[in-house]
Amino acid sequence: MTTIVRTSGLVKRYPGTLAVAGLDLDVAQGEIFGLVGPNGAGKTTTLRILATLLRATAGVAEIAGIDVRRNPDAARRVLGFMPDVFGVYDDMKVWEYLDFFARCYGIPADRRRRMIGDLLDLVDLGEKRDSYVQGLSRGMQQRLCLAHTLVHDPQVLLLDEPASGLDPRARVELRELLRELRALGKTIVISSHILPELEELCTSVAIVDHGQVLAQGRVADIEKRLRYGAVLRVRVLGTTEEIGQARDHFASDPRVASATILDDGEIELGFRGDDDESAGLLAGAVAAGIRISSFARAASDLEELFLQVTSGQIPAQPQVA
Amino acid sequence: MAELTEIAADGSDSGIEIVELSTPAVATQATARRRPRPLRALRFGFSGIAAVGVKELRGRMRGRRAFVILTLYLLFLAAFAWAWQLIAVRTYENSGSLYGGSAAFAAALVGQEIFGALLIVETLLVVFLAPAFTAGAISMEREKQTLDMLAATPISSLAIVLGKLFSALTYVFILIIASIPLTAMVFVFGGVGPDEVLRGYVVLVVSAIGLGSMGLFISALMQRTQAATVVTFFGVMALTMGTIFVTLFWTKMAGVSPDQPVFRSSGIGPIKGRPPEQLLWFNPFAAEYDVICGASDGYGGWCARLAEVTNGAISIGIGGGATGGVPVTQVDQGFGAQPVPIDGRSIINDVSPVQPFGIRRDTFWPRSVVAWIVLSTVMILASVQLVTPTRRWRPGFLRRPFRKVAT
Repeated sequence: MTTIVRTSGLVKRYPGTLAVAGLDLDVAQGEIFGLVGPNGAGKTTTLRILATLLRATAGVAEIAGIDVRRNPDAARRVLGFMPDVFGVYDDMKVWEYLDFFARCYGIPADRRRRMIGDLLDLVDLGEKRDSYVQGLSRGMQQRLCLAHTLVHDPQVLLLDEPASGLDPRARVELRELLRELRALGKTIVISSHILPELEELCTSVAIVDHGQVLAQGRVADIEKRLRYGAVLRVRVLGTTEEIGQARDHFASDPRVASATILDDGEIELGFRGDDDESAGLLAGAVAAGIRISSFARAASDLEELFLQVTSGQIPAQPQVA
Repeated sequence: MAELTEIAADGSDSGIEIVELSTPAVATQATARRRPRPLRALRFGFSGIAAVGVKELRGRMRGRRAFVILTLYLLFLAAFAWAWQLIAVRTYENSGSLYGGSAAFAAALVGQEIFGALLIVETLLVVFLAPAFTAGAISMEREKQTLDMLAATPISSLAIVLGKLFSALTYVFILIIASIPLTAMVFVFGGVGPDEVLRGYVVLVVSAIGLGSMGLFISALMQRTQAATVVTFFGVMALTMGTIFVTLFWTKMAGVSPDQPVFRSSGIGPIKGRPPEQLLWFNPFAAEYDVICGASDGYGGWCARLAEVTNGAISIGIGGGATGGVPVTQVDQGFGAQPVPIDGRSIINDVSPVQPFGIRRDTFWPRSVVAWIVLSTVMILASVQLVTPTRRWRPGFLRRPFRKVAT
């Protein structure tokens, strides 16, 4: 896989704040890459440096091999940037909006006309061509803003919180659109703190906090690594007494750090071990005559990962291969 | 030559280079090998200005509003010119004997009055509208967060600034140009030559660009449109009323008046002698008055008013002739102006060449125009600096103490 977006030792210092503190990223071509982190983690700053809107205090940022600091003009021609707050120009029609940005890239008139039609079809706004931008719904505005990043057919899209403020349906539409763009060969870098969004969408993520990457790689890889240390939920059939006995059985296992009975009767286990070991735990419990109706990992989604990583429960590791 | 042919050969395309890359390695080589192409860059720069300009004008000129306003403005201006003509006729009809009773001379005086009145009203328009149209140009983009989207495209900051400036001024220019036929009405009366009309419009256009650049610069400097508008109007007030007040203060403190010799010993501290002309360079009214005064060859009410207000800061005097404090204006009986002998700073440094008719004219407004052009250039370049995202220079006192930390 070719690396298309790369940052190395990226630092951005504001007076009194270190927004980005030595951030290393590697995004392979054709990926949908998620930058996850709490507010203030440095996601937007990183994207803005990549979009040539901020100058890094130190470090290197490259897009398609172009150093964004040394050669911002060339970088701007291979990237499309969508800021977190989408600005609407007053008194502008949908096609004029795209026409304006196409002119900014110096695209000639005949190509502009064709391209605007294609783009509006792509983002499903073909019927709104002559509507005013401020009259569109938020989801439509977001799609239009996404279309504006595509007027010059860039290789890389940098989208800052594209799903924020959208209703569920608009989110689904946006997700479909991003998949479509990926199919067209675009590399997409998305920042978000809405994790379920990214989990379904992204091929890779980087978990960022305090201006540094805490974990980076394919979602499945990170999960696998972090699964060593998960919360298991076990539903046991039987009386309260039997459930109490089952809890004691689990608690006696050295791999189980904690075992508590929840209000709904499930047993929650703090478990240290990988999938093999949890299978062993289950087999042992069944052999001991405990009637188990369900045995599952409580939270295996990004949100849990994210909380674990950012709260320091799991030591941050630089990268997953 | 090869370069030129090459540019001509791909003249059909956009004039820009879209870097099409298959692999990153190729990209690096391509950018490293690219030679500077000034013509292409220039063409792309112009297309950028056009992009911003077209966008702005689409918004501003949409619908009937702009044209209705233009029509109303012309109707108002025509009514005003007519009213002023009636006033001028009343003023001069009884004083014909002063000029040998010549009807032609009286008509010329009426023509000059109308010319002056129209130019001053148009100057008022420029002084209000040009900065008002530009004061929000950049800060509005910043407030709506569209400046970032714009800055992430290859369009240059200079193109953004110039596109904004000229699109904002286009409407002002349309108002100015539309008034030219109306102003040409003064030729019916006489007393004003086409060159004087041209001078008047040069001053108008340059003032519009200057005040527009000022609004744009303040807009680029401030974060909020409201603040930018307020500061811009304080600036406009300082340039118009402020400069006149300082001049007045100076002359009173220095104890000079246009018809008296200047004694260097009088005055307080550094305030000695006649006020410096530079004070009034950026006052569009002073420059327009100078043009109007020039049209009347140094005579007449407009010169008297100029001399009265500026107390000799602007040399509008009559070459050589003013040394003795010779009374030269006895014309104006209206508008509170007293018969005032006109005088440059001729008492102490009277080196004015004697020109045809003995008039030393057109000495002030060209300097004002040059000063405005220089100041506009400086402000445009400063605005470019402020708009460029990665080279943003901002004085410390305007920095917010707590910058929003980006997430």
